[in-house]
Amino acid sequence: MTAAAITEAGAVAAEVRAARRVRQLMLLAVSLGFLVLVGVSILTVVLVSRDQDFTHWVNHTYQVDQKIGDLRVTLERTEGAQRGYLITGDALYLDGYRTSANRLPQLVETLRALMADNSAEQHNVDLLQSRITQMLAMQESTLQAARMDARPTDPAALIRADQPLLNAVRDIALGMANEEGRLLEERSSGQAANAEMLLVVELASGIMLALIAVGAFVLMRRYAADLDRSQLALRKMNEGLEDAVQARTQDLTRANEEIQRFAYIVSHDLRAPLVNIMGFTSELEVALKALHRLADTVEAEAPALMFPDARTAVEEDLPESIGFIRSSTQKMDRLINAILKLSREGRRTLNPEDIAMDALIEGIAASLQHQADAREAVVEIEGTLPNLQSDRLATEQVFGNIVENALKYLKPGRPGHVIVRGRTEGAFNIYEIQDNGRGIDAKDYERVFELFRRAGAQDQPGEGIGLAHVRALIVRLGGTISLESALDQGTTFRVSLPRTARRIEDKPV
Amino acid sequence: MTSHQPVTIVMIEDDEGHARLIERNIRRAGIFNDIRHFLDGTSALEFLFNGKDGPSMNGPALILLDLNLPDMSGTDILAKIKAAPSLKRTPVVVLTTTDDKVEIQRCYDLGCNVYVTKPVNYEAFAEAIRQLGLFLSVIQVPEAGK
Repeated sequence: MTAAAITEAGAVAAEVRAARRVRQLMLLAVSLGFLVLVGVSILTVVLVSRDQDFTHWVNHTYQVDQKIGDLRVTLERTEGAQRGYLITGDALYLDGYRTSANRLPQLVETLRALMADNSAEQHNVDLLQSRITQMLAMQESTLQAARMDARPTDPAALIRADQPLLNAVRDIALGMANEEGRLLEERSSGQAANAEMLLVVELASGIMLALIAVGAFVLMRRYAADLDRSQLALRKMNEGLEDAVQARTQDLTRANEEIQRFAYIVSHDLRAPLVNIMGFTSELEVALKALHRLADTVEAEAPALMFPDARTAVEEDLPESIGFIRSSTQKMDRLINAILKLSREGRRTLNPEDIAMDALIEGIAASLQHQADAREAVVEIEGTLPNLQSDRLATEQVFGNIVENALKYLKPGRPGHVIVRGRTEGAFNIYEIQDNGRGIDAKDYERVFELFRRAGAQDQPGEGIGLAHVRALIVRLGGTISLESALDQGTTFRVSLPRTARRIEDKPV
Repeated sequence: MTSHQPVTIVMIEDDEGHARLIERNIRRAGIFNDIRHFLDGTSALEFLFNGKDGPSMNGPALILLDLNLPDMSGTDILAKIKAAPSLKRTPVVVLTTTDDKVEIQRCYDLGCNVYVTKPVNYEAFAEAIRQLGLFLSVIQVPEAGK
């Protein structure tokens, strides 16, 4: 990625973070609003039901008040009718008195029922009842007396005698009426307060609703805008990324091609002088043979002419020098061939095909059977290996090399056990080749993959090419290789290969 | 050899060491034909096409060609030889360090008669040259102009 793209991505990320914070806050506020709204609704329900209660009790009070009024009117009527009879002696008044007097106990019972909720008033009702009974008894006896007399001599005295009881009943009734009046006032004002509160709550909930609506609207607009912006940013980033990846791939391909060409040319050009060195070394050998014959002849025929150092040169120094030149050149030739091989592998066409990995590993194990037997080692496949679509030759070389290494670098005196296992992770298959061999020191983890580098005791033949070759192949197949190892415990190579490899065409030098 | 004129061996080789080794081994194989050695492509082509005693004017020849030359590619020289009516029947032995199969194929496609890789192993190298000597002694080299 370019620096600009990174900065842009960072800015976008910061913006996204800030937007997310704002959104979270808004979301919190709106949810809180909704919560309050639910509370307000519950409160409204409570208040409305309380209002209904208040209304009920106010009506009830009116009813009680009406009955008390009734009682008071009937009381006065009783008194009036009694007084009329006492004064006039008219039987009509007596009937009126009877009607009203009969109603009084009924009214008291009705009041008692109505006031069942009020314990304080119950006492008054009891008092009222007893006083009315007393009063009625008194009036009845007065009326009886009057009837005996036929014409009461002093009706006023009779009336006056009834007055104290009547007044007591009047007072009680008045007191009850007053109490009901007080209750009415209390309940009415309670209802009014409740109604006021209801109004306030409704108003508040209305305002809250409006606020929430506005909040939700703003939030939604913000979301939509954010979405648009991030989509745009994403598209831009994607485009940038694609360009960057393409540019990088081109760079890599070019660099790789350059390295391949370089390796090819170098190895070829190094070979030419090598041919000379080898050739003329052999020529020297031929010449040395002639010298050797000469020395032999001189020694046989004229030993006095022979220099001792000439003898040493012909018999020891020259053959030794020639031997070193020869072995060094041979080694150099092998190294150059290795570079050439790597360079060629790097240019070979990769043809992806379906590979049954179990069969491939079994094939490798079979081809290495002889080596394995010689070292008392077994190669085992754990479970079933996931199959690949990749270049067969390259895959064979990769696994062949690793398994061969596992068999090569065993811990002396311990029967070898090589386990191959595999699993699929996303678009990649991961294979592990685990051995119980001599292991690799942690400092050599990277070194073993380098060309011409080897690790541990140099007791096995080899040029340090195998793993370099393996890594080059894996990289070319689009995979990676890593290892885990403990000295004397064993090594596990982890090869990660794309399940489907790209096809790569051969590139001429 | 059936020809009355001796075959000239034209060796185009920029590495003098190689040239010397090739010559020695050819001689050891018992081939004593005249060897004309050129260190670069330009002078070799001048001789091949215009030389008074060159193969296009006079006498049969056999060309030993190295592919890595300082001034031009050996394959270019091969193409020029095989495209010239007066030279196209002259046998060309490509003798080079390259053993790339694409390169070898290209040389055969261009009409090279034999392709020999110079092995680093000298015995193999000497053997290859001796084989070449044997080859030289049995092939029929056409005369110029025929």
